[in-house]
Amino acid sequence: MERLLELKHVDGGYQRTRPVLHDISFNVNRHEIVGLIGLNGAGKSTTIKHILGLMEPHRGTIKVDGHTIDGSPDAYRRQLAYIPETPLLYEELTLWEHLEVTAMAYSISENDFHNRAEELLKEFRMTKMKNWFPDHFSKGMRQKVMIMSAFLLEPKLYIADEPFVGLDPVGIKSFLERMQEMRDQGCGILMSTHILSTAEKYCDRFVFLDQGRVLMQGTLQELQEQADMPGADLDDIYVAVTEEDTHE
Amino acid sequence: MNNVMTLWQTRKQEYWSTAVKYLRLIGNSGFLFAIYILFLFGSYYYGRFLEWLPENFPAVLFFTLVFAWMTARGRVRTFVKQADLVFLLPMEERMKPYFRSSLRYSWLMETGWITLLFLVLAPLYSDRIGQAAGPLLLVLLLLSLLKGWNLAASFEEQRIGDETTFRMHKWLRFFVNAGILFLLFSGLLLGAAISALGAACIYYLYFKKINGTLQWQRLIEIENNTVRLFYRIANNFTDVPHLKESIRERKWLSFIYRFVSYSRRNVYKYLFARAFLRSGDYFGVYMRLTFLGVIFILAVDLSWGRWLMGALFSYMTVLQMETLRYHFRTSQMPELYPLPEKTEEKGLIYWLKILGIVQVAIFTFASGNVLDGITVLAASAAVYVYVIYYRIPKRNSTG
Repeated sequence: MERLLELKHVDGGYQRTRPVLHDISFNVNRHEIVGLIGLNGAGKSTTIKHILGLMEPHRGTIKVDGHTIDGSPDAYRRQLAYIPETPLLYEELTLWEHLEVTAMAYSISENDFHNRAEELLKEFRMTKMKNWFPDHFSKGMRQKVMIMSAFLLEPKLYIADEPFVGLDPVGIKSFLERMQEMRDQGCGILMSTHILSTAEKYCDRFVFLDQGRVLMQGTLQELQEQADMPGADLDDIYVAVTEEDTHE
Repeated sequence: MNNVMTLWQTRKQEYWSTAVKYLRLIGNSGFLFAIYILFLFGSYYYGRFLEWLPENFPAVLFFTLVFAWMTARGRVRTFVKQADLVFLLPMEERMKPYFRSSLRYSWLMETGWITLLFLVLAPLYSDRIGQAAGPLLLVLLLLSLLKGWNLAASFEEQRIGDETTFRMHKWLRFFVNAGILFLLFSGLLLGAAISALGAACIYYLYFKKINGTLQWQRLIEIENNTVRLFYRIANNFTDVPHLKESIRERKWLSFIYRFVSYSRRNVYKYLFARAFLRSGDYFGVYMRLTFLGVIFILAVDLSWGRWLMGALFSYMTVLQMETLRYHFRTSQMPELYPLPEKTEEKGLIYWLKILGIVQVAIFTFASGNVLDGITVLAASAAVYVYVIYYRIPKRNSTG
């Protein structure tokens, strides 16, 4: 199995004196959707910020496709597409221009860009809004712009932070189907969420995060075994292990 | 009772501590210096302007209209916040001292603005109507009292639910003001005093009787508008977070985007072009300063004054355009792009050069003769060269 993302003993946080993440280690391989599961404040977004290179780990290493961000920032960033929790749009750019500038930044050829962009617009039912400004977009449409920008790049690794927030059911379905398609083509996907029923259905493996530590990780079956709860669903396991953790 | 006043004090201090921070940034930006220079030049030409102004200029009418508007405009600043709809609404009955302080505060601030404007217009005043209307200080005092009356009335009238009726009251006050001021500036002090007395009666007989609860949503709107104006000014000098600027597409300028070709190196050229033309006030500021620069170069008839004006307006322009650099710093996305180093700086410099060339060319043509043209060109170009090749690269290396 080929490792696309590798976190090894990562400690991190906003201040060195007060680390938020403690000894985080997990991998995302090719052909895999990994669910990063945790409550609000468990450290999901902070973990993602470290992976993106927006924050620097105090200890440990993070590799994307074998590269560290200090070693080769270009190769590191190029393999990675990010779908943020709150859509980060440029208010002065139209939808089409968002896609164009993203494609430019990641050196997608102009031809590829046009083909992929038209196709994505159709799939997410946004062709009509091509020349609109974000001001006129609903929360869900904004999220779609971020999702399309990510798919446009066809990177090896996707990082999605709570991607379903605000999406309509059709949007969620398109998104998940495309994610699976990408996985089948050999991409790796890390998806943070606390909607556990969806995660259970679509993710191949899970990483449970609680108070900045990895509580458990593995496939659903492995988690059931570790928790000694055969046949239990993800919800129950998560609640059981976090409760155990707070009682200690 | 006490609680309400502590709340008011905290709110006021909160606002002022942010305001002072921004004011300091504005002060440090070199803008004040430019204003000072303009002031020196302005005062020289002011005198000549007064000499040139024809005898039959309707000074009384002019003063009446300007100050009727100055006294009618503006409302009581209350420092209320959106969340007050939830938390303070139940306390409305006990909020009287809070709003009384707000009224006093607004009166003080507004009197300050009126004084400022009046001082600017003072030479015109003493030249044309001073003898008839009486000493400056007395008039100023009366203006301040009138302003106080307007603010008190405007606070009462905000209880009116209907938006059109509400707006009409402002015009009513404007006409009352105009009446009183016309008498005052014409030198009919007695008439002015009597009509002022009448206005005071109107307040007690009419405004005080307006019923209805406070329109909280409207108070919040008034507050937001006041703050927004200040932040928008500050935003020209530094990045003000959370200031939502509206976007204008300006389709007729979209041909400019074609200067930037599809390439990784051009990502920031692409972004800055759109920020400049569509967002905030970059484009407007550029046009205004260029226009004012031309006016000043045309108006000044000393050679050294022309090149000084050219350099000054180029400097003010480039100072404002430089802030484009921070335009995308608040967004996380560009940080993730796999871009070569200095793409941002190169993109900024690319557009500053183009804007500079256009402006310097316009200033040069405005200077009229060849010799002045050359000096203006040299002076303005020197400013751009300094900023582009020295200031910006240096700033980048220090952080």
